[in-house]
Amino acid sequence: MPNPEDATLRINASPSKEFFIHMLTRDVQLTKAIIDLVDNCVDGARRLNGDGRFDGLWVRIELSSASFSITDNCGGIPVDTARNYAFRFGRPKNAEETPNSMGLFGVGMKRTFFKLGNQFEVNSKCKTEGFTMKVNVKDWIGEEEDTNNPEGWHFNFDTLETDLPQDPAREVGTAITVSDLHPTVAETLQLENFHAQLILELKTAHSLSIQQGLGITVNHVPVALQSHNLFVSTEFKPSMKELEYPREQIDGQQGSPVYVKLLAGLATRSLPEGGWYVFCNGRMVLNADKTELSIWGPSHEMRQYHPDFAYFRGYAFFDSEHSALLPWTTTKNGVDSDSALYRKVQLEMIEISKPVIAFLSGWAKQRYEAETSDDQLDTALTRAQAVEVATMDAPTTFSVAFQPRPQAGPRVQRIQYSKPYDEVEKAKTLLNVRSLKEVGERTFDYYMEYEGGN
Amino acid sequence: MPSYRSINYVMRPAKSIERKMLAESFRRLHPFQRINEYRYVGFGSIYFSDFQLIHRELGIDDMISIEKDTYAKECFEFNKPYRSITIEFGLSGQILPTLDWTKRSIIWLDYDGKLDVDSLADIGTVSASCVSGTALVFSVNAHAEHQPRDQERADFERQTGKPFNIAEYLLSKLAQYIGPKIPPGTQGKDLHGNGVATVFHRTILNEIDEQLSRRNALLDPGDKMVCRQIGHFLYQDGALMLTVALVFFKASDLSVFEACGFDKLPFLRSGNDPYLIRVPCLTNKEIRYLNEQLPFLTATIRLKGPGIPDEVLKAYSEVYRYFPSFHEIVWS
Repeated sequence: MPNPEDATLRINASPSKEFFIHMLTRDVQLTKAIIDLVDNCVDGARRLNGDGRFDGLWVRIELSSASFSITDNCGGIPVDTARNYAFRFGRPKNAEETPNSMGLFGVGMKRTFFKLGNQFEVNSKCKTEGFTMKVNVKDWIGEEEDTNNPEGWHFNFDTLETDLPQDPAREVGTAITVSDLHPTVAETLQLENFHAQLILELKTAHSLSIQQGLGITVNHVPVALQSHNLFVSTEFKPSMKELEYPREQIDGQQGSPVYVKLLAGLATRSLPEGGWYVFCNGRMVLNADKTELSIWGPSHEMRQYHPDFAYFRGYAFFDSEHSALLPWTTTKNGVDSDSALYRKVQLEMIEISKPVIAFLSGWAKQRYEAETSDDQLDTALTRAQAVEVATMDAPTTFSVAFQPRPQAGPRVQRIQYSKPYDEVEKAKTLLNVRSLKEVGERTFDYYMEYEGGN
Repeated sequence: MPSYRSINYVMRPAKSIERKMLAESFRRLHPFQRINEYRYVGFGSIYFSDFQLIHRELGIDDMISIEKDTYAKECFEFNKPYRSITIEFGLSGQILPTLDWTKRSIIWLDYDGKLDVDSLADIGTVSASCVSGTALVFSVNAHAEHQPRDQERADFERQTGKPFNIAEYLLSKLAQYIGPKIPPGTQGKDLHGNGVATVFHRTILNEIDEQLSRRNALLDPGDKMVCRQIGHFLYQDGALMLTVALVFFKASDLSVFEACGFDKLPFLRSGNDPYLIRVPCLTNKEIRYLNEQLPFLTATIRLKGPGIPDEVLKAYSEVYRYFPSFHEIVWS
């Protein structure tokens, strides 16, 4: 047996600051890194208002070539949390959990600071305490105290206030500023197209928090609400299913279970918007997925996503008090497809999708074979209402009372041909019709009337 | 029917004024190099109005016309006014990336349609490839959407499953053209009158900023490509048209750009407020009468014309040097 005390047998496996500053930052896109900071604000809002509404709470992001800042009124970072957990690299085992939180790895905030620039400042105000800290990353990396002792890595508070008297007028929240931006970051943060992209991604990633009343602005432009709807009518009903997975099955420990809510159905025909949407504790991690990460493709014995399925929408909401149980990745830009929980739920996602996909395939086939007119499904959908998925709380199964009718009368065939533009336009005028379909049908009828013995 | 058959480009008076104003602006590029050694790239159609003007006024020989209508090659070749014009048949998105971008060029991308992902991609090509001293003029239809008809309202309701909302409808139409490039904060209620032109102007500049930011990565400060707007026009012969004129130059060529003195031309605008080209309606006799009073040698003099409203006189004094004259000629 080797002696563990023997220093010659020790192999150094400690991390380096450079790893966090220069390597880990490569794994996350700039927009995603910024959105990661908003996750912390939402967690603050949750601590402040429980699971209720976020009315009156806001997050303000300001971007320029000189600095980045994010300010919120979501309660601030408690001094104890800052001192012991929030600025550590990775979450220690004994860290207190915010129930149903979005931040969970202890990676996001620091990674975003390093990604953005060389100088960051955090100013936090809680009800009876507060702190400020300023860090120069270049100086911090050069501090020699701890090259081989990550346990000794630390930042310092610049100001610290504790045990303040209760003051109802005190505005609580966090203000973070990153300056001395990296040159490419400075270049990018001033682009309006980047602001537009960030707003678009915030709108999807945090649609549920915005729906609950959280106001988010980017350079004073509010991030609009994105609603997630499924069409409901007397003819169409989406599927809704609720599942519960005990914690013990997932990580062998005692605690609250993971709740999963799945929905699948029809909505507006849209090639980019069709697909699966997956949320973990209210944060969107898959947006209109069309790949095997959700349900598509032969590896799931399913068809590939296809324009015929542009009416399809699927939603999966994973919720748990213990956020580490959920299948997210550290960049929150996808799912951990190897997670046992996700693999199990994926099967359910596939099953709940099948009737909708089968209906759309069948309908497309009939349409291609010209047995039904093109717009029957569109017309039937006209009678449906867009219903917000968050409000659907009774389990249902997908049902279609609408049957694509074959054309009445004898079997029909489709004819397709091309004619010179000017002549077709002339025929349109002579026939007094607006569509090319009508031109075809009316000229055919005309011929048959005179030559076909009709 | 192609637009060149439904509209005779030569006869559009505001366009004609704009063309001459632009030619005068291009003349100022000479600090970069001799103007006649520039290359001109445009969409000549069958009229080649811009090509005729550019060749006559600036002496440019090297000219390329991009023509998307590949079915009528003979017609275009026949109408080519000068032998030094090369017609490249294909869409601008096909042709532009294949051009030799080491040549300093004046490029006028004059689209019939609205700004869309394809025309934005053309801006991308020019921004990514051009050399210092290149002028890019970009014209698009910026007419606000017409009031939706009943059918369009019904379609919107069907597609969204929600009651009709004009602001959302206008925003969704805009999204069909420029999608995620819509500038942040754009609202449907702003998209009437000149609102679409304002949005398109901002989108064009944003696209150039984005492309240049990529292009400039890793370059020394002096080598970074800069783009300055020199002109911003709005006019309405039929639909409202937006034109943005820009010059690209290396940061180290700033003094060369400044030597061009684009700000000396009264109709050029470097900011967000466009120059509106107004075409006064005047008889030939009135025009002769007014011309005799022009140019003003001091700023205090005002034009006088019998019974002609002041705003018409003012408009004429701004554009008289570029004013088209149309005559009917009877051939015998």
